[in-house]
Amino acid sequence: MLSIKNLQVSVEDKPILKGLNLEVKPGEIHAIMGPNGSGKSTLAHVLSGREGYRVDAGSAHYKGLDLLEMAPEIRAREGMFLAFQYPIEIPGVNNTSFLKKALNEIRKHRGEEELDAIDFLSLIKKQMNLVEMKADLLKRPVNQGFSGGEKKRNEILQMAVLNPTLAILDETDSGLDIDALRIVAGGVNKLRTADNAFVVITHYQRLLDYIVPDFVHVLSDGQIIKSGTKELAYELEERGYDWLLEESEKV
Amino acid sequence: MTQPTNNFSAWLSQQADTDSSFAFSEAVRSPSLSKLAGGVFPTRKDEEWRYTPLGSILDSCLAKHTTGALDIGFIDSLKQAMPSAHTIIFLNGEYSEKYSDDPLGLKDAGLSITHLSQLEGASLKMAEDIILNSNLTDDNIFQHIALGLSQAGLFIEVDKNADGITPIHIIHISTAHSTTAFTNPVNVVRLANNSHLKIVEQYASAGDAAVITIPASYIQLEDGAGLDYYRIGIENAATNHVCNTSVRVGGSGSFKSHQYLLGSNLTRSNLEVSFTGPGAEAVLRGVYLGDDNQHLDVRTYLDHAHPHCSSDQHFRGILDGHSRGVFNGLVLVREHAQKTDAQQSNKNLLLSRDARIDTKPQLEIFADDVKCAHGATVGELDSDALFYLQSRGIGKKDATLMLTRAFVAEVTQEINIESLQTYVQAKIAAALDEIVSTSV
Repeated sequence: MLSIKNLQVSVEDKPILKGLNLEVKPGEIHAIMGPNGSGKSTLAHVLSGREGYRVDAGSAHYKGLDLLEMAPEIRAREGMFLAFQYPIEIPGVNNTSFLKKALNEIRKHRGEEELDAIDFLSLIKKQMNLVEMKADLLKRPVNQGFSGGEKKRNEILQMAVLNPTLAILDETDSGLDIDALRIVAGGVNKLRTADNAFVVITHYQRLLDYIVPDFVHVLSDGQIIKSGTKELAYELEERGYDWLLEESEKV
Repeated sequence: MTQPTNNFSAWLSQQADTDSSFAFSEAVRSPSLSKLAGGVFPTRKDEEWRYTPLGSILDSCLAKHTTGALDIGFIDSLKQAMPSAHTIIFLNGEYSEKYSDDPLGLKDAGLSITHLSQLEGASLKMAEDIILNSNLTDDNIFQHIALGLSQAGLFIEVDKNADGITPIHIIHISTAHSTTAFTNPVNVVRLANNSHLKIVEQYASAGDAAVITIPASYIQLEDGAGLDYYRIGIENAATNHVCNTSVRVGGSGSFKSHQYLLGSNLTRSNLEVSFTGPGAEAVLRGVYLGDDNQHLDVRTYLDHAHPHCSSDQHFRGILDGHSRGVFNGLVLVREHAQKTDAQQSNKNLLLSRDARIDTKPQLEIFADDVKCAHGATVGELDSDALFYLQSRGIGKKDATLMLTRAFVAEVTQEINIESLQTYVQAKIAAALDEIVSTSV
């Protein structure tokens, strides 16, 4: 589904990703862990098409399509979703009409009929229960005045409504208390099917208690230096990153 | 008499000599005519006109209206803004009995509307006094054009304590085609003590020719009176519009104004508000949308001459192409105007590198116990917000439209007439659609 080969990316002439490889298949959950500054968020941004990143070498294909050539909205319409580490507040744009517009753009792209207001509302009500979100947040401008936890739940609500094939969660656990973490992770688990995949980027092992990954990758200085199963995450929790960094330097 | 130095002055001096009937008596007209005979128009060396060149007006070769046909469907589309108002239509600067809803002189529970040229006795004195006492200064040449040469205008009067009056919708339509035309309607409004009224004034073009429109409005609110005054400009891209509005608000009175500058080649809107008693309020709102080579200049002057008054101004502009915006707001708080609350905010979005805004919010405070704040911002579209919308599948053009609409919706959502809010938001959406189509 997602195939990244030797991806090298720089920001303002500073290399950040230095030859990253990753294969994600349908039904899988991959966790990407790593210390601050290792390139985790850069990976998320490059995959979702944010400006300001220069691809120096390598490739990223999604469902066989050259991801790096696609506009951000086309990536989304093809079924990609990025849950933002810092969701953006958009004054004056109503949360519900924003999400309805987004869903209908995606449906149009798939050749499906657009949902009318009534069908959309019944869909969104169902998905709101999933993230235990208060109804009045739908009437507000996108993320404006939301608490940190509400913003993250809003991301997961959007994900539930847009129903992506590949979701990238960029440090969704940062700034969440245990209850919010449980709700957010519960949302992800309920959305998981044999046909979709998740890439969960996180600094801490904590989130992986709730979203159990099939694979854990450690990103350091722009490269994946170790891959393993969920056991690797526990090991990192116990021993930190330093032993791995030293090990990789020796290699 | 000095020789006119430009086409426009020459044309004006011809108009003064014709036998036409004028809106005002000789007494009002002659001082203005002598000002006009002096013929001096401001240049960009005048601080007040530093950012707004008048060449497109002064170089114009004007002619009498060669009027085109007026489609009744066009009027109907304009009426959608205020379907249940009293509709008054000025066609090419003249009152149109044919198209106006109600015969002039209607009496609607405390409301009376009279042609300025037909005023007599106490009403005439009243209207002339309102003009003489206005805030507009003697060196404002454009008010002299309005007073000296206007051939049409209304005196709208509301009796004391009158409330629940049907709103008045004044529509100015130009049907000019092929030659440059000229209109300069004048309206005088007086609300007696504790009366209330809503006026919506709209300027539109049914033809495609250039029109020079120089209107003036003189508004006087007596103690406790409240006026909601909306002004919407959707003229064609060849029209030049210079308007002056003087508002005097009595003690505990309330003046709420919205301006929407959504068309024209050049618009200069000057709104001067004075408080003439304590405890009054003024709420000024406005939106200007510019594209191509449009020039939109909004000026406000707020004179806090009495204590316990509040003023709240909020203007927003979006400029694209090579368009240029000017916001110049001066709030004067005089020495005795203690407990004044004056707020002023101007926010601008520039969508192209060639668009430009000159914004100058100013406070001059001579009282010591006041709450005043002003601020201006100039920015580009928020790229983070744009990316966020795109990352959810919304195309760049639609995302830009959503963000620009949202930017001005903070003003339009305060329109307290539902049909008008819908109308203005639709006009803005259509204008933004056109602006964004060429730039994304």
